[in-house]
Amino acid sequence: MVEPLHLRDLAWAVTTCCEIVLLFYLWNRRRYSTHPVLFLYVVAVVVQSALAMLVYEEWGYSTRAYWVVAWGTQMLVICARGWAVFELAHRSLGAYRGIWALAWRVLFSVGAVVLAYGLLFAHGQWTTVVMNAGRGMELSIAAIIVTLLLFTRYYRVPIAPLDRSLAIGFCLYSCFYVANFSLFEPHLSSRAYFWNFLDISAFLASLLLWIVAVRRYPGDSRAEQRITISSEVYGQLSENLNLRLHLLNEHLAELLRPGGPRP
Amino acid sequence: MTLSLFVFVLLAVTLVGILAWTGRAPRRKPWTADQIFAALSSERHSLRLPAIVQALQPEDVAFLVERGHRKLRARLVRERRQIALRYLNQLQEDFEMLLEASRLLAVLSPEVIAMHEWERLKLSVRFSVCCAYLRWKLRLGLEPWRTFDALSTMAGSMALRVETATARMGERAAVGAAFSSTLQGRRG
Repeated sequence: MVEPLHLRDLAWAVTTCCEIVLLFYLWNRRRYSTHPVLFLYVVAVVVQSALAMLVYEEWGYSTRAYWVVAWGTQMLVICARGWAVFELAHRSLGAYRGIWALAWRVLFSVGAVVLAYGLLFAHGQWTTVVMNAGRGMELSIAAIIVTLLLFTRYYRVPIAPLDRSLAIGFCLYSCFYVANFSLFEPHLSSRAYFWNFLDISAFLASLLLWIVAVRRYPGDSRAEQRITISSEVYGQLSENLNLRLHLLNEHLAELLRPGGPRP
Repeated sequence: MTLSLFVFVLLAVTLVGILAWTGRAPRRKPWTADQIFAALSSERHSLRLPAIVQALQPEDVAFLVERGHRKLRARLVRERRQIALRYLNQLQEDFEMLLEASRLLAVLSPEVIAMHEWERLKLSVRFSVCCAYLRWKLRLGLEPWRTFDALSTMAGSMALRVETATARMGERAAVGAAFSSTLQGRRG
């Protein structure tokens, strides 16, 4: 039977190879011009893997040095991931100035609230605090992506297939990280290897999704800037639409009133 | 597992669920800009239906029961329920058309008023819940008469108010023309 440690090392090696493949495709398809932050994020992930591998070779897995390097760089990588998600959001909604003005505030608020919730549970030893903070950030990223996709769906804003695939990859990994960490948290000391293996495997799945998406879809299908009506016209029409919606709602509410309609 | 950890797992699973839902194709095809402007400027079906509804008062049925026409009464009950359901469908269609128009408006605006958008979201949730409740109430035959009576009495006054609002929108038809052509470009 293959030991968990070896399985994890194998998954780690395969993941690093996939990271390099993704970086190659991003470079090859010139995605660094359309998705510069994503490109930087993948570079950061490759550098993190290389750094962690060097420290692992030198001092081993269960050492403080490895832990500091792994989690220190992990925080930076999560921040880069958050930035890449923001880039995706801007690519999807940035062309629609009105919606973007509303969306970034909503996305920021959702992210901040979820992050604050995640950080509420970050207490105890400083190692636990860092890991809990990581979970809070991942949950925040997932919430931001889901809110972004809800926005695009509500306003029927077309989102490029590449951007959608990238967003799905980010979201699935973040959600899996949160669930995985939460399920294993009480047994982290005894099941660290298995937890780490599952985490790496989930990231590998996201990497594969991104590689396929970068290979398959064009990345420069960003919507052009369109402004056709003034804020004043929008305000007036919007107010009238709300009035009509309100009237229809009132109509329905009257039907539901126990005593029947008012004269 | 503690409650907080359970909440984290639940949140993650919920987010994945919503993510999957956002990937589904919308139930209905989006309206084109022309359809929206035609609908906004013309009389809606829901404004015409009340006239049909008005003609069918509950007293008719009471009269039939007294005369012993039970089968006819049952048929009338069924038909009236169908009419009430149709009326609800039309109301919902009107509502969705307005929401669609507001979305298009927001997409083309340089500045969206968050309060307007929030208000619309609240209204649409409220409308959906009330509509589903009323529809089931009618299907299950719970107090259909009172509902039906309410429909007919209310319809006239509401039609007038909605028409007034429509007229106000019509005043901005000039804006709409330019708007429509731009939207056409976007949708087409």
